[in-house]
Amino acid sequence: MRRVLFALLIGVGAAAAPARAQGGATYVLLVTGLSGEPRFARLFDSSAAMIYDAAKGRWGAADSGLMYLGEDPSRDPARIQARATRENLSARFAVLARRSVAGDLVFILLVGHGSGEGPQSRFNLPGPDVMASDFAGWLKGLDGRTVVLVNAGSASGDFLAALAGPGRVIITATKSAMQRNETTFAEHFARGLTSDAADGDKDGRISLFEAFTWAKGEVARGYERRNLLATEQAQLTDSVLARTVAFGTAAAPSDPRIAVLWAERRALEGQVDALRRRKGMMDSAAYDRELERLLLEIATRTAAIRAAGAPKP
Amino acid sequence: MRAATRTVALGLLVGLACAASQDGGSPAARVRALAEAGRLAEAERMARAGGPSLAVPLGEVLMLSGNLAAADSAFSVAIRARSSDRRTAEAALAELSARRGNASAAERRAEALVSAYERDQTGWSADDLTAVGRAYVLLGTDDPQAFKAALRAFDAAVARDSAAVEPRIRLGDLFLDKYNAPEARASYRGALEVAPGNPRALLGLARVLSFEGNPEATAALRTSLAANAALVPAHVLLGRMYLDAEEYDSSGAAAARALAVDSTSIDAWALLGATAFLGGDSVGYSRARAQVFRVHPRPALFYSEIAEAAARHRRYAEAAQLGREGVALDSTAVPALGVLGINQLRLGDIEGGRALLEKAFARDPYHIWYKNTLDLLDELRTFKTVETRRFRIVAPAAEAELLAMYLSPLLEEAYDSLAARYEYRPPTPIRLELYRRHADFSVRTVGLTGLGALGVSFGTVLVMDAPSARDPGSFNFGTTAWHELTHTFTLGLSAHKVPRWFSEGLSVLEERRARPGWGADPSVEFLGAFKSGKLLPVTRLNEGFVRPSHRDEIGFSYYQASLLCEMIEQQWGRTALVAMLHSYRDGLGTPAVFSKVLGLTPDALNARFTAFVRQKFATALAAIAPWKGNGPGEGAFVDAIRAAEALEAAGKADEARTALERAEKMFPEYAGPSAPALKLAKLYAAQGNLRGAVAALARYNALDESALASNLEEAKLRQESGDPRGAAGVLARVNWIAPYDAEVHARLAELRDQTGDLAGALLERRAAVAAGPADPLEARYQLARAMARAGDAAGARREILAVLEAAPAFEKAQALLLELRGRAPEDRNR
Repeated sequence: MRRVLFALLIGVGAAAAPARAQGGATYVLLVTGLSGEPRFARLFDSSAAMIYDAAKGRWGAADSGLMYLGEDPSRDPARIQARATRENLSARFAVLARRSVAGDLVFILLVGHGSGEGPQSRFNLPGPDVMASDFAGWLKGLDGRTVVLVNAGSASGDFLAALAGPGRVIITATKSAMQRNETTFAEHFARGLTSDAADGDKDGRISLFEAFTWAKGEVARGYERRNLLATEQAQLTDSVLARTVAFGTAAAPSDPRIAVLWAERRALEGQVDALRRRKGMMDSAAYDRELERLLLEIATRTAAIRAAGAPKP
Repeated sequence: MRAATRTVALGLLVGLACAASQDGGSPAARVRALAEAGRLAEAERMARAGGPSLAVPLGEVLMLSGNLAAADSAFSVAIRARSSDRRTAEAALAELSARRGNASAAERRAEALVSAYERDQTGWSADDLTAVGRAYVLLGTDDPQAFKAALRAFDAAVARDSAAVEPRIRLGDLFLDKYNAPEARASYRGALEVAPGNPRALLGLARVLSFEGNPEATAALRTSLAANAALVPAHVLLGRMYLDAEEYDSSGAAAARALAVDSTSIDAWALLGATAFLGGDSVGYSRARAQVFRVHPRPALFYSEIAEAAARHRRYAEAAQLGREGVALDSTAVPALGVLGINQLRLGDIEGGRALLEKAFARDPYHIWYKNTLDLLDELRTFKTVETRRFRIVAPAAEAELLAMYLSPLLEEAYDSLAARYEYRPPTPIRLELYRRHADFSVRTVGLTGLGALGVSFGTVLVMDAPSARDPGSFNFGTTAWHELTHTFTLGLSAHKVPRWFSEGLSVLEERRARPGWGADPSVEFLGAFKSGKLLPVTRLNEGFVRPSHRDEIGFSYYQASLLCEMIEQQWGRTALVAMLHSYRDGLGTPAVFSKVLGLTPDALNARFTAFVRQKFATALAAIAPWKGNGPGEGAFVDAIRAAEALEAAGKADEARTALERAEKMFPEYAGPSAPALKLAKLYAAQGNLRGAVAALARYNALDESALASNLEEAKLRQESGDPRGAAGVLARVNWIAPYDAEVHARLAELRDQTGDLAGALLERRAAVAAGPADPLEARYQLARAMARAGDAAGARREILAVLEAAPAFEKAQALLLELRGRAPEDRNR
């Protein structure tokens, strides 16, 4: 049986449909590393827990596709499945390579501290650390899938160059291995992925790119508020692919009446896009009039869609 | 902080070529030792008896006593005789020419010495190298690169003779002249290692301490005078300290002592002139000015020194005028250009001030103050200005709109309130600048980083930290703005002659009147200091601001001054405060003002004030021990808090609560660390007594103007208790402490919606957008909703269309658009 997509089902008779460019299942692997201090342990655990709950509840990831390795499983036995060791991580990648197929999404999140440089960049685990070169080997087994790997640790920047490749979005909390202070990216990224605040275009879906951009902004804002020099700047490969990886609802309806309205609405949204591109070349009053007309049409379709029984995202 | 005295460039600090390599018992060394100890008459006798070989030491002694013509002759003898110290004589003659205003002769002599040095330095002694350093300093007036050469020459002198004192002192003077206090200190200390107790090195250290605003400067100065009672620059510096404390008799006496030694000292005449000018003695001022013109044909420095003194007394317009007169005499005089430029900035003429500082900086590119200020002015060009009826609020572009939302109505309210109280309306617009970096505020104010204040008023130009300059919860920007605006009134009404204590006292008093909890609070240490007699008497209250003798004295003085003003208003009426300001404007000194307006001598007023404080804080004073002068306060109140903490730690919550309730009754006005009300709030909350917790938090928050965490807690508890109006009132206070929190604005907007305050809700939604929220589209949607609810359908429509333009799929916004579209047709066309 095709697995249920990470997208939630919408309304009456709605069939599962991809919320992303590709079809397929979603696999999530969360790893919290060596914390060093209780306050970091709490932060790491809460960020991972947010994503775990969202993946399970809102993204629709099946239990067998949801993996969580933690520094200390006893801290969150309901979610953490095993200790975050090099061996367990390697084993999980092997499982991912076996179970997933081309077209699936594999989302990997590392929350912790890092060190080192280049391919020897490390993510700190209890016991031997794992290096970027280890991940490079493990990711080879996931060719053909859409892979998102987020290293939210300190000194993570060099993971980008080491792991970038086609079909992959790599995100790091720091822009280089020299940014060695503890990072705040993970908590903001987790919030971005799991709340509406990061939904920049308010379309009911949060793309990876939206979550990343929002989290990056929140990180900067946090340092500004505390009058501190920012010691982390997150980066991401392949913003184009990142825009197509989305989390949340937006499946096409199966009810024909709703489907027509939905299609009309999508077409009108496309017209708004086109109008915006022409803004600089138009008389401002004419632009405003046409914009309002299109937006009213969109709003009317939405109202009709809701009136026909389709629930809100 | 005040500017370092610029006494180097024209050789006003006369040196003594004391190379330690000289035989300590040589006749020249003995003459110099006598001069160094201030025994000038003896030194002169000995030098004259020594004949031509002592011509240079004789010249130095004669310069110290202001006998310039004779000094000239003595140095000329040494040069004609080609004595071994002729280069020192050449440098001294160059300095003498400069001192008498003969710039071309000074330059010619200095150039000759420098050329000889640059041709061939073989065999130049430490004294010779020091002499060429002095020549380079003179040439630095027109060629700033020469200052670097001067440094190298003095360094070379020290390297040539590690026991040489003079070059070390000259180095210190040069560094301090360029505001480099650490290097100056190191140089003076080096001199003292070689010559312990050297009065000029001791004076140098005192100047460094004075520059840093260190209260130990006075003691250091007295040490230098103890070593040499005839040290003119020391008398001048001491006089300046008296002047800054507005002790005009003492500053005049110090000037007289300096002039008794050297009647040609321009610095001493400038001190006397400043004393007369600031004391309203126009005859004395004219006399000093006439004397200076006898010594120097274009004494721009005389005017710039008095201008600096006027500026330190907040008389910025007069400072600018004096600077203008200095520039008219010598358009190349850097101190005159600088003081005029800085004060034009303080008067709001930004472009005029910038142009002058550019000129000053071009001639002296080592001047940290000018450089910092010019850099800041570049930054100021990126700021945004929001204009209200009577104010111009200038702030960083990202913050200006948000800050102006709150400051605009507050400032207008403050203006009306203060105008009614003081029966005076300052000219408008009044300019308020806010800086998000405290270092920038500090530079705008004193040209250097490190100023501890939050705000400054120059009259109709106010400058303060923006809330973003400090951690949230560290200060309240509303009360700071009100405080500074009050200075505008008191300065203006008194023609800027109001003494510091009275101006600050009124500003703090007006803060207290503006809003409950605003303004300073009494501390355990303050009341302990009162009890032990360690507060300054009212006649010396100014010293607490300009020359505090201990770390806490500035804070004590602010609060004490406000209590004194409060007492005067209570017992003589508001009009007494106004009458006092008028009296200062008319030139009366403080004792005369007390006598005229209050009918009391200073001692009688002091006694009345003591009784007032004793009565006002009777309960608290009974529970506070006399303060030892340092460290935390002690007494039954402190003991009660400690006992409560111990009970709480032992898990005895009920007993702890009883102890805290008792402690709070001992000192109900207390809002400092470990305040009983705050601890009670936690205990009550832990025991489920929400009402008690809210009441305790309210008591505390009514005292502390910048209590962020406890205000947020009170708002939360009030909301949970079903008191949205009360919660809204509390969050409105938070806006003055942490205005950048978009979530607080959003919460306050919701509460105002609930209580029907639609205009207030709209304001908060605007603030939430301006504060840069995490979800800007959601915030703008909420703003559009608030506009619609407040009756601005057209505005709401414009806003929601802009939101949907960015996010056409935003369903809530679409629904609002449809709702607005469904309104009456006439609304659509607005």
